[in-house]
Order: sequence, then C-alpha cells, then structure tokens
Amino acid sequence: VANASTPGDDTTTVVRMSAFDRLPLRRMVLVGLSVAIAVFVIWGSWKTLDAKAYSGAAWREFVILGIAQGAILALIALGYTLVYGILRMINFAHGEVFMAGAFGSYFFSAAYTRSGFMDRHPIPALLILFLTAIVTSVTVAVLLERIAYRPLRNSPRLVPLITAIGASLFLQNTARGFFGTQTRGYAKPQILAGDWTILGISIARIQVVVFVVSVVAMIVLQVFVSRTKTGKSMRAVAEDQEIASLMGIDVDRIVVTTFAIGGVLAGVAGVLFALTFEQVNFFMGVRPGIAAFTAAVLGGIGSIGGAALGGFLLGLLQSIGPALLLTGIGVPSPFQLKDVVTFAVLVLVLIFRPGGLLGAGGAEKV
Amino acid sequence: MTVGRLVRTGLVGGIAVLFVAMTGLLAKVAEINLIGTQITGARVLLAIAPFVAAYVAVRPRVVAGRLEEASSSSAAMSGAVAGLAAGGLVAAALVFTDRYGIERVREIFIQVDPQLLEIVGFVQSVAVGALILAAGGALLGAAGGAFRTMRPPWRRPIGTAVGVTLLAGLLQRIIPISLVQLGIKADWLYSPATDGLTWLGAFLILVGSLGCSWLWARRGKAARDTVRTIVREQPSARIIVLIVASGVVATIPLLLGAVISEVLGTVMVFMLLGLGLNIVVGYAGLLDLGYVAFFGFGAYAMALLTGGTLNTTTGSAAPAFGMDLNFYVAIPIVMLLAAGVGLLIGAPVLRLRGDYLAIVTLGLGEMVSILISSTWLKPLVGGPQGMRNVTDAEIVGFSFRDPQHFFYLALVFVLLAVFVSWRLANSRIGRAWNAMREDEQVADAMGISTTRFKLLAFATGGAVGSVGGALFAVKIGSLTPQSFEIIVSITALAVVVLGGMGSIPGVVVGALVLIGLPGLLREFEEFRLLIYGAALVSIMILRPQGLVPNIRRSRELQEEDVSQDKWAEELAAETGVAAPIGPAGEGSG
Repeated sequence: VANASTPGDDTTTVVRMSAFDRLPLRRMVLVGLSVAIAVFVIWGSWKTLDAKAYSGAAWREFVILGIAQGAILALIALGYTLVYGILRMINFAHGEVFMAGAFGSYFFSAAYTRSGFMDRHPIPALLILFLTAIVTSVTVAVLLERIAYRPLRNSPRLVPLITAIGASLFLQNTARGFFGTQTRGYAKPQILAGDWTILGISIARIQVVVFVVSVVAMIVLQVFVSRTKTGKSMRAVAEDQEIASLMGIDVDRIVVTTFAIGGVLAGVAGVLFALTFEQVNFFMGVRPGIAAFTAAVLGGIGSIGGAALGGFLLGLLQSIGPALLLTGIGVPSPFQLKDVVTFAVLVLVLIFRPGGLLGAGGAEKV
Repeated sequence: MTVGRLVRTGLVGGIAVLFVAMTGLLAKVAEINLIGTQITGARVLLAIAPFVAAYVAVRPRVVAGRLEEASSSSAAMSGAVAGLAAGGLVAAALVFTDRYGIERVREIFIQVDPQLLEIVGFVQSVAVGALILAAGGALLGAAGGAFRTMRPPWRRPIGTAVGVTLLAGLLQRIIPISLVQLGIKADWLYSPATDGLTWLGAFLILVGSLGCSWLWARRGKAARDTVRTIVREQPSARIIVLIVASGVVATIPLLLGAVISEVLGTVMVFMLLGLGLNIVVGYAGLLDLGYVAFFGFGAYAMALLTGGTLNTTTGSAAPAFGMDLNFYVAIPIVMLLAAGVGLLIGAPVLRLRGDYLAIVTLGLGEMVSILISSTWLKPLVGGPQGMRNVTDAEIVGFSFRDPQHFFYLALVFVLLAVFVSWRLANSRIGRAWNAMREDEQVADAMGISTTRFKLLAFATGGAVGSVGGALFAVKIGSLTPQSFEIIVSITALAVVVLGGMGSIPGVVVGALVLIGLPGLLREFEEFRLLIYGAALVSIMILRPQGLVPNIRRSRELQEEDVSQDKWAEELAAETGVAAPIGPAGEGSG
C-alpha cells in the first residue's frame, strides 16, 4: 500500500498495486484448498467405511502391503535424498539405477532357479543375488556421476536436471535394447513362498523379509553416516562443499561415495522389489522412482530419517488411500489411481510444507 | 602423447561400437544400403568409431602452457594406435562371443545373434573378421589422425563432402521421390535394387559437394554479403525472396508425396509443442515436465467439442459430455480452456523453483495420462479404448485429414505460433520473463510481479501446446491414451533443448531432427528414445546453448566458461594474431 505520499510532494511516485497483489489471495486459496481436502478425505473415508466395502482382514492386508512397499520406497528414496543433500540436484536417473540392480540379479536368479541351486541353498543364493544387484547398481550409479553429472557440477540448476532426464531415458532404453521389451519372470525360492504367523497375524514371508532387510540397511546407513569418517565427510560436504574441500576433504571422492551408497541401497531395493512382484522389465524403475522421490520430499529431502519416514508413509498412503477415499464415492477400480494419490501427495506437500515433514518446515525456499 | 591415453580413447570408441551392437541398432542399420551394397549403415558405424577416436585422440592439446600439435606422420602413428585399440576391442569381443558360445551370451544380451556376428565379422570366418576389424581399425585410425593434422582449407571441404555423400545415401526415402515428382529419372543416382546411392551417384555427389564446399570456403562470405546487401537495399528483392520462399514451402507436400508429408505433419505438431514449451522453459525458465497434460487436453477437448465418439467393444457411444462444433469455432475455445488449465497447474506450484517445479509438473502430467486411461473417466474420454470420429477440420468440403492437406493447416498454426513467440520474445512480457529466468529475486525486487508472469507463461505455453494436441486429434482422427504418455513431455523438451532454449529457429530445427529423421528412417524408430536420451545428455555437456542458440540465453549459460583462455581466444580472433595459449590452431594453419 504505497500511496502514502503527502499532498504536494510531487517527487513521490504513486505505485499502484493491483488487488491481486494486495489481497492475501494465496493464503485464502490455501485455506480453501485445505478445507476442501479435509472434507473430501473425511467424506470419502466415511462413505467407504459406512458401506463396509472391505473386511477387517482386507484392511490389515492393505496395511502390511503398504509397509512392505513403503520399505522398498524408503530404500530408493534414500538414494535421492543423499545425492540431493550433497549436490542439490535431483538424480532423476536413480529409478534406472534401481532397475539395473534388479536386472543384474535376474540373470543369476534365472540360472540358479534352473539349476535348482536356489531351492537347495536359498540363503547363499539370495546373498549372491543381493551382491550382484549391488555391484550392478553401484557401477551404473558411479558411471552416471562420472560421465553425465561431473562435467556439469557448476552449471545452472536446470542443466544437470535435464541431463538427468536424458540419462534416465538413455539407461531405460539401453536396458530395453540389451534385454528386450518383454517382462521376465523372477522366481523366488520356495523358502519365501507362503506365510509366517507373527503375533497371531499371518504375513507373507516375502513381506517380512522385505521389511527386515530394509530396516537393517537403513540402520547400517545411519551408523555409517553418523559414525565413520567418510560419513562425517559426507555431512561436511553437504553442509558446505567449498569449506569441506579447504578442510582437506576430497569432494569428488565423497560425491562418488554418495552415489555408490545410493547404488547399494537401490540394488537391495531392486532385488526386494523383484522378489515381491516376481518380475523384471526395463520400465520398472519409472513409477517407483517417482514415488520414491515423492517419499523423499514428503519426509524432507536431504534428511535420512525423513526419507525413511516418507517411504513408509507413502507406501501406506498408496495401499490404503485409493481404497479408503475413492471406493465409497463410487470410483470404479480405485487402484488404477494409486499413482494419482502419489502425485497429489507430492503437490500438496510442496504447497503446504515444502520442507517436508522432518525438514525445516518451509524455511528453505525451494 | 602417451600411449595410455591413445589406447583409452580408442577403447571408448570400441565400447561405443559394442554398445550399438548390443542394443540392436547395428543390426538395424545394416539393412540400409548407403552406397551400392558394400557401404551399409553398419559398416559406416564400424568405420566411424576408430576414425573418430583417432581424430579426437590426436587433437592439439595445451601442455604446460604451450600448444602441442603433432606432425602428420606422428599423428598418423598415434591415430593408428587409437584405431587399433578400438578395432581390437571389437575384434576381441567377436572372438570371445564365438568361443564362449553365442547362445550363452544371448541369454543375457538378446540382440547378439549369428546375424550380428556376420555383420561385425564382415561375413567372413571369425578369425578373418577379427583380423579385418583390427587391421581396418588401425588403418582408419591412421587416416583419422592424419586427417586431423590436415590444414583446414583442405580438411573442411573433404569432411563436408564425405558427410554430404553419406547424408544423401541416408535420405534415400526423400530425394529419389522428390526427383521423380519433379519428373527426373534418377536410376543412375539411386539404384532401385539397393535403395541406396549407386557408386557413380556417390562419386558425383562427392565431387560436386567437394567443389561447392571448396568454392564456399573461398568466396562464400563475399557472396553472402553481396546477397545480404541486395536484399537489404532493394525492397523488391525482399518481396521476390519472400514469394520464392513461400512458393517452395507451399509445394513441399506435393513434392514429397504422402508418406513424407505424414511425417512432416507429426513434425509440425511437435513444432507447436516445442514452441509452446519454449515459452515456458526457454523464455520464463520454468522447467515443465508435464507438458503432455496440455497436449492431451487439447486433443481430447477438440474431440469432445467437435462430436467425437467413444470407442466401445460393440461400436461407438456418445461421450458423457459432447458438442458438435466446427473446428474453427472449437479451436479458440480449446485454447482458452487450456490457458485456464495452465493457470490451474501453475497456481499451486508458483512458489516452487527449478527442480521441484519440474517434478511437480511431471506428476501433474502423469496424473493426466493416468486419468484419461482410467475406468473412472471412461464415460467421458473412453478409457483405454479412446475416442474416434474427431473432426477433419473441413472447410467448404476440403478435408484436412489427408497428410498432404494437413501440412497446410499445421503450417498456418505453426506460423501463427512462431509469430506470437517472436513478438513475445522482445515485448515487455518477454523481457519480464527473461529477468525472472535469470534471477527471480532480483526480478521481484525490480517490480516484476513474478506471480503474474509465471501464470502468464503457463497459460500461454498451455494454449500453444493445446493447439498441438488439437491438430494431432484432427490429423489422426481417433485418440488412444498411448499417444499421451510422459514421453511426449520429454520429446517436446528434447526438441527445445536440442535447438536451444529460447530460440525459435532452434525449435524448428529440433523438431525436424528429432521427429523428422527417425520418422523417415524407420530403422531408427525403436531407438528413438535411446537417441533422445543420448542427445539430451550430450547437448547439455557439450553445447548447453543448443544447435541454434538464442544469443542472450547462450551468454547466460556460458557465463562460467569465460576464463582467461577464452579471453585470449577472443583477442586472437579480433586481432588475427595467434594467442599464446589455447586451442587456436584452427585458424593459424
């Protein structure tokens, strides 16, 4: 409101501001939006629960499925978050790193299943699968950093992002060319078929394994980052690259290490994903990649705990959300819209709390 | 020049060959006869690798502040080493595959089949093939090294002539057809048996382009200046140029025939998408990865407004909402609605910048693709089966469905979009966008309402993109969700990026290269996305300003590069005195 000029003072220019700029329109829109969302969520859930569309056992299934998928999302999300923390860039091709891991282990899995080694010695076989997936993913991630990202370290922000999109497309179609377009079955060992009864609830074995392996991987990562010298260097580089390099930290080496750690987690996630869905194809990295990025943003990108939390939350939202919100209001086949829920969550988080749940709460302007 | 470095460069060339072989591209291009039956696309690829590796390996380098340039003979030697490494790697892979068992390799890399080995081994036994690869690699490497040290007045025309000849061989689907349409019998140039150039034709083109290129190097600049002065000073000359140019453009579809016009139609649809995205990304600096939303919206809105019907298993059904408007009435409505969608998409993401914006728009674009194929919206847009009976934009009985007619309709809209983009670029709005792109906070401080201009960019870009969608709907007449996936967004982005962000001629070139070439060379069709990905990465690393850069934008992108060497180079260019350092060997000769 700038026309507070005294009469007769002709040196003051009157700045006219339109109603659009003056009104706290943005706030009004945001409040309206959040009320609308709240009403929609309550109404949709009420209708669904009222109609008793799903049994109690079905809801329990949804929750368990959500946690298992959330664990995989969290592992991928950690790769996004680590790289973002250090380079402030979205490694768009991380979904393809995940895909590469799954594919790398596929060939061993197929060979072992054929020879019967998988069922005779499932534990060593699974360990080898994880190992090959990790090696493949790490190789791809490190090459990606070396060839595509390092030359652009100091470019304007859009440049590495466009490069990352290109790299993602390139890796995807390389896999398509190398391994073909067809989806391949990924057999899981007999030992992982069937259920285990835990606390009176019967849970698919594979889901238990997914959960345990992911949580162990996350704990190892947390210890690594907070205790080891390399981990401390990573945090220093994330804080300030220039000062870190002045303190004798080899920034290039730390960046490579970060990509490699992201690759390890993506490789583990790749095997878990392939064992869960029992298939691999060249396109499998795209949707989980975007979902995992959403999870990272939801938890607060750059924060390790945030990525883990975001992963589990988003997994739950994806498995419960469509059923709970959309079934009651008469949307047919609500699970087709699973990813719509993902993206809606992403947009809403960025609007209301761009820093994420564990982040700085919007203080960091994104 | 250390041997290690030469070998490394050569190995990179060899890896590139193995890569194209394993993705299946090599086997595909082996079907293209460029010259006779001897020079096929695959053989050119096999030959290019050691040549280019050697060419790159022996480039002059700055060592300890001095420009180190190899003599011809030593460059040839070094090149041979690099070429041998490249050819040797491929040969080794060939022998390995044969020894290890092709079936076992094939379990992983499905493209490795006996046919591929035949192509790589020149239809000889494996041992002979490997020998040819290694020896040929060394020879080509030596040639590449020697070629690098050749003086520019010779090197450039030779390079151009070879390039033009190969390109002429590659364009075997366009040139002969146009010649026939012009009434020229071209059997002596393009053999009907192999589709490619005949040896005589190749020789003539080589000599002809060599001559032209040589002449151009000598007199080109003077000739161009003369033409420019005439055009500038004589208004009548300008009109003549304009008439000739529009005459040429108007006869393109008649000259090229239906098949190529079909491809051109797609090119122009993507030109529209590129122009729209260029406003958002190039002018305003907002990376929108959900541009397919506008494309899909335009197409489906056009279908619904002009009486399109839903595809069902039993036939067709009326959509839940539909009108029966004329195309020319519907198009402004579609544009207005799309601008509204642009505002809707833009509004929530206003505060976001850079990469976050990209991901959110990506998500919104994905939402659109999921929604149009969902069961939920099936009564409106037909779900996976899609829609048909979209208008053909007929005007007094003249239908535009025919590819040769569609060209003109698309041309009108492309010209309009070019005009709008061009006027916007230097208007007050365009300058505000520039300011915002370069530094949002400063622009804000200078009194630019970033909110308003961001929304304006989304709305304008959305409106232009929706025209692309609407024309696409007219062109193919029926819609399925497969045409509206994320890949459209990425293709449009690649078009903008390849040409140069913020550059209108860049978009035109980008669309012609990225959509036109793969459309004409059907062998490349399934490798299109692979090539787009590689193009995006390499453009961003090697030439971020694009092929036809926008001057202001390129300055901004290169800011970091202006170092002392750059300054020395510029000084050398101005004064004609070679700079003490830097790769100034080009001009000194």
